[in-house]
Amino acid sequence: MTTMRIKSDQEIRELLDGYGIKHGPVVESTRHLYEKKLKEAMVKDKVTVTKPSPDRTFYREEREEVSYVNYRTPVRSEWPSGDGEPYMRSRPEYSDRDLVDEKLYSRSRPEYSSGRQYVDEPHVYNTQSSSSSYSKPTPVVKPGGGVVKAERKASSGRLIPLWIQFLVFLIVAGFLYFLFTSMESAESSPFNRIQ
Amino acid sequence: MSSTSQKHKEFVAEPMGEKPVNALAGIGEVLGKRLEEKGFDKAYVVLGQFLVLKKDEELFRDWLKDTCGANVKQQGDCYGCLREWCDSFL
Repeated sequence: MTTMRIKSDQEIRELLDGYGIKHGPVVESTRHLYEKKLKEAMVKDKVTVTKPSPDRTFYREEREEVSYVNYRTPVRSEWPSGDGEPYMRSRPEYSDRDLVDEKLYSRSRPEYSSGRQYVDEPHVYNTQSSSSSYSKPTPVVKPGGGVVKAERKASSGRLIPLWIQFLVFLIVAGFLYFLFTSMESAESSPFNRIQ
Repeated sequence: MSSTSQKHKEFVAEPMGEKPVNALAGIGEVLGKRLEEKGFDKAYVVLGQFLVLKKDEELFRDWLKDTCGANVKQQGDCYGCLREWCDSFL
């Protein structure tokens, strides 16, 4: 890694620009710092080249951002992938339908009133499905159009640390499970029904 | 961010002149010595470095950590101190 040392100031400057690293003039006192930054950037580069999967998830996140217009999306990019996997499969069905609805809505301006109703339907559909799926230990879908912009902004940079989201998810899941078990004990156990 | 320290207030209240490097907020005896060993014996020399790094917070913090091993709080205190001084006097 001493190859950095033999580069001229100009070359270091060019490398910094190449990596997009913000920097000041490369003088004696700053040189060491910039050499370090370049080394880190090079290591990072090697790492990202060998890992193609992050691109896939990025595409997925993008897709979700675009399609979930009417939802307050709990499936932001930061949600645990463990939870996301089975859940996300059912969601694209909603999203496709929603996307279609949005297109119709935006296209037909004179049909404003009817378009509006049409858009409302997924809302209703949402609430019903959300209440039925409430027993599942997954985050509840709440319709809220105005929240979309805030969600999009938040998903680009983590405002809420990941571990807090994990924690909240576990708390909600645990609570729901507790509810479910307490409800089960009120009725007779289904296993004793053979008479 | 927590309220500024007495050291900070004193430093930003007037031109730094020939103040030693440990007059800077966040720079105590240990860090001050390390900086002096590297040639940064006066506050204005660190100021010079701060300016050469274009007053950028991240660069300055990295440099400070690299040069004298300052922790996050110390970095922040020093950066805030210099930045405010520059706002008033530069």
